[in-house]
Amino acid sequence: MNLRDLQLRNFRCFASYAAEFAPGFNFIVGPNGRGKTTLLEAACVLLRLQSQRSTNLAPALRLGERSFVLVGHASDHRLQFYYSALRRKVAFDGVEQRDLAEYLSLARVVSFANHDLDLVRGPAELRRRYLDFIGAQIDVRYRPALRAYERALRSRNALLKSAHPRPRELAAYTEPLVRSGNLLRELRSAIVRRLAPRAAESQRQIGGGQEMLGLEYAPGSEEDFAAQLARARAEETRLRLTTVGPHRDDLRLLVEGRPAAPFASEGQQRTTALALKLAQAQIFAENFGAPPLLLIDDIFGELDAARRNALLGCLPNEAQKLVTATSLAWREGNLEGPILRL
Amino acid sequence: MKRTEYPAALRDLIVQLRQMPGVGPRSAERIALWMVQARSDHPANIARAITETRAAVRPCRRCGFFATAELCEICADESRAADQLCIVEQPTDILPLEKTSAFRGLYHSLGGRISPLDRVAPEDLRIAALVERVEKEKPNEIIFALAADVEGEATTSYLVELLKKYPVTLTRIAHGLPAGGGLESADELTLYRALSGRTKL
Repeated sequence: MNLRDLQLRNFRCFASYAAEFAPGFNFIVGPNGRGKTTLLEAACVLLRLQSQRSTNLAPALRLGERSFVLVGHASDHRLQFYYSALRRKVAFDGVEQRDLAEYLSLARVVSFANHDLDLVRGPAELRRRYLDFIGAQIDVRYRPALRAYERALRSRNALLKSAHPRPRELAAYTEPLVRSGNLLRELRSAIVRRLAPRAAESQRQIGGGQEMLGLEYAPGSEEDFAAQLARARAEETRLRLTTVGPHRDDLRLLVEGRPAAPFASEGQQRTTALALKLAQAQIFAENFGAPPLLLIDDIFGELDAARRNALLGCLPNEAQKLVTATSLAWREGNLEGPILRL
Repeated sequence: MKRTEYPAALRDLIVQLRQMPGVGPRSAERIALWMVQARSDHPANIARAITETRAAVRPCRRCGFFATAELCEICADESRAADQLCIVEQPTDILPLEKTSAFRGLYHSLGGRISPLDRVAPEDLRIAALVERVEKEKPNEIIFALAADVEGEATTSYLVELLKKYPVTLTRIAHGLPAGGGLESADELTLYRALSGRTKL
């Protein structure tokens, strides 16, 4: 998949803007606040209909405007996305789409940004979201299982919070919770099994062959989730919420066998964040037969020369890459690609 | 300067019409204008039909389907097998099942499903009436035809727990491929479920 061009209208700081991209590396250079990240966001929204920056697209509207339009060509198909508070319209080769399956099957995106560091340092929720994002794209069962689990969980918690205890209704909602929870555990565990060796390999390469990264799935539910819930009943009644289950899952990151957040150095943590994203890109490439578009937002300036070169070596050759930077002083001669100045 | 508007009576009619499902401001205005301008007596017929239908149609005392007498057409039909009882969420779910002609038993509509997030509790549904029917009519089989989502599953599980002490077989309708459609027209998840719920030949 190659994104050939991109047109923006009323998208964040751009009233109207058009850009063309080549296969391989593309550099987007300019001072802060010129819209480098916005250009990456526009590419992500056009290809995936969601932003890597926010869950809601309303903030992407240019100040005072009611709608934005993104148009682009990817793999010889024309993609068009219209957004307003009242409606969104998606067209594939000029034909408006109701079912988004064909449109979304065209391209995958993996974004690299400095805030990826939160994957390592931040709360478990961010790591669950990372797994959810991968799962939803590689297994058709993932999204329905996650939605069913969340709905059953909210229903169950509403019953636990109600003034009168409702044990029978609670038991009734335990059934879908256990069924979707078990499936979610199985799917997440399979994703982590696939991520682990790939992330470890990337950490080794970027970290200069010395850093050992381990990924462990730490499920919030046991093999027999139903029995575990039964044991937790007293605590549930006291706290008035469901205390065990996949909503308590974590993805444990170990550098040199020790938890990365408190023990690893800043550089090691940055490497781990990159390794997670590289592993994700590899899984997408394996599942869909083509590498994803890589959006790389201003991260090269933060890495030392050795890690930078190692990272460049890890990026899949065939993948198209959009790289933003405030300057290209770090770039070495062998890194060819068109430069777009903002 | 005062802006001229429709007379108050006509404005009120528009407001009333907008209460109906699927009727927005534009449609409400068009319908109201037709009602006051039509030369035929159609509007009067409609008004009469509304009043009469509301007085005549009520839920069937037994199953909850639409009826004009104590019992609906299905419950009053003595040729139907009283030993099979099919449980649905809404009375409107009965008609599609009837169209198949595959089922000749009786129905029981719950009038919704247990949903704590929408504040629907078991006592808001026709569950006590169901238990009473099971005790009195002693069916051999109870078929659950509720939606295949979280609320449908939880409601089914609640009723199974309630009914398992009676000597009755409890079954659930299968989910799978739409009939007549080739494999290519099914979505992946439906195909996945159909594949994992396959039956032996």
